Amino acid sequence: MTLSTIKITQRDHEIAKLSAIAVALSLIEFFFPSPIPGVKPGIANIIILYTIIRFDLKMAIWVSLIRVFVTSILLGSFLSPTFFLSLCGALFSLFSLIILKNLNHKYFSLVSLSLIASLAHILGQFFVVRIWIIPHDGIFYLLPIFISSAFIFGLVNALVTNKLLQLNPKK
Amino acid sequence: MIKKILKSFKLIKSGDWFVIFMFGILTVTSAKFLWGLPQGKYLEIYKNNEILATYSLNQELKKQIHGPKGVTEIIIDKGKVRFSSAPCPKKYCIHQGWINKANQIIVCIPNKISISIVGSKKKYDSINY
Amino acid sequence: MYLNNLLIFFLLASLLGCGESKTYHQKDFVFGTIIDIKIYGESEINATKVSTEIFKEFHRLHKLLHPWEKSVITDINNAISQKKSIAINNDEVISILTDAQNLEAITQSLFNPSIGKLIKLWGFHSNEYNQEVIPNPDTLKDLVSSKPSMKSIKIVKKVLESSNHNNQIDLGGYAKGYALDQSKKILKKNNIKNALINIGGNILAFGKHGEREWIVGIQNPRKPNAIATVSLKPGWTIGTSGDYQRFIIINNQRYPHLINPKTGYPENKTQSATILIPPSKNSGVLSDVFSKPLFIAKSENKINIARLLNIEDFLIIMNDDSIFISESLNNKINWEEDLDKKNIEIF
Repeated sequence: MTLSTIKITQRDHEIAKLSAIAVALSLIEFFFPSPIPGVKPGIANIIILYTIIRFDLKMAIWVSLIRVFVTSILLGSFLSPTFFLSLCGALFSLFSLIILKNLNHKYFSLVSLSLIASLAHILGQFFVVRIWIIPHDGIFYLLPIFISSAFIFGLVNALVTNKLLQLNPKK
Repeated sequence: MIKKILKSFKLIKSGDWFVIFMFGILTVTSAKFLWGLPQGKYLEIYKNNEILATYSLNQELKKQIHGPKGVTEIIIDKGKVRFSSAPCPKKYCIHQGWINKANQIIVCIPNKISISIVGSKKKYDSINY
Repeated sequence: MYLNNLLIFFLLASLLGCGESKTYHQKDFVFGTIIDIKIYGESEINATKVSTEIFKEFHRLHKLLHPWEKSVITDINNAISQKKSIAINNDEVISILTDAQNLEAITQSLFNPSIGKLIKLWGFHSNEYNQEVIPNPDTLKDLVSSKPSMKSIKIVKKVLESSNHNNQIDLGGYAKGYALDQSKKILKKNNIKNALINIGGNILAFGKHGEREWIVGIQNPRKPNAIATVSLKPGWTIGTSGDYQRFIIINNQRYPHLINPKTGYPENKTQSATILIPPSKNSGVLSDVFSKPLFIAKSENKINIARLLNIEDFLIIMNDDSIFISESLNNKINWEEDLDKKNIEIF
């Protein structure tokens, strides 16, 4: 009987590398102040976007989920409300990317992808907040602010991702 | 700096502009709808002669206020507010029911607590009650 | 560099401007009701100082004239019920009582500040109303026929004597108006140009709200909002007698605290009577005192009383929701709701 060994591929290296950067970005973002503590614009989306464009969807899903889990373990917030916020935001965002990744390149660039992923990310977090964390409608007052921030960060993320893509041309 | 920004505009394609436009609409309508309803109204709770607290009316909230006679409870429910329990004997404040418009007030005189609604548009400076 | 300085200058200037155009607002509880003071166009320090002074004065009057808690008035009432005379070492109280006497005469006793006994019988001499039954009709009848009136009170050389021991002075329909007049003095003394003082519904419009006049809402007797609004020109006062703040309910029937001295029973066919008084030294007192006869008089007599008292601006809301309004007030008033205008009669 032979023990099956886990073969570590080049792909795995990539995933690890990207996840690490995504986690780092999440950690930085942790220190941003926010009107509703825990709800963040999601600059780690830069990495997710990069991954989905440069590589493929499956890898992006890995990176995204690893990012959520590792960040929360590092911050000591695993399974806390913040964790679920983060997870839901990431899931909504991924979901929107799955639907949209096949957008026609003639009319849509990564800017749209980024904007919509950003919006989905914020809405995912809002969903958890409203259902569970602050269960009354007062928080909807803050929605316009978060939508604007999703817009700004969506654009910024797109620009940064674009730059990254240029700096790392496909081999 | 400006050159860099202009350069990035080249990125944006027609479909993107559509998304950006829709985003703008979304922001404006959500602001108008959520902030314009009910006209940015807040509830001011007065204990004796001072403002005790200000609450947005756009929520569901039960608040207990301690006055000289005991505990008064008010309920805010999505744009309207009323006294739900008070230590005064006649409970006039409770019988007033819900109020929801700017400048409306309900007073519990025995417990020296009054609630008044502040809106963005004031129709009068004071009411002759 | 030059532009920077200019910008800073404008910012600072606008800040200064901001300070002056704010309305300062303070509330308190006196006379058993909410007092609301708004001062326009003053610094917060000044406005605070003046409103504190005004509230202090109101508390003083509240203690001085209280109808049932120990006060100069209760001392007088005790003496009267014991058929004794009493020396009053307070010129202010003497002039108030004399004024009240005159006003009772002018209003044909519809304003009668000596029916304290009746008011007490109905349970209104208390901070909480616990009256559950109508007072004994015979007791009421006897009281009424004993004709309590300020007429039987004489003050000679600061000594008060009443030939009717059933007189019990209750200045409930006078004190708030008097306080309003007193506040004018304090405002003037402190050089305040613009203020709005609301003592439980008796309002004085002192000056204006900046460029526009003060706007006052008239309470809807049955709903927690205004039925109409009206602009008060500088110096004008407004007063309302209503059945919706102080009342008792017996057998599903509402009995307000406004008692008809001639019958001994509260007037319960009227919901509210509102009057506007033009500027004068005692416009505060008049805004308080003159709304009573209008509220209490029989509906067919109300208009005559208004004419008798020279009240040009009045608004009366009856129990059946019909409205009597003077032409003068009708021209000034802004109705808030879509009232059924058929119910309005203009005089």
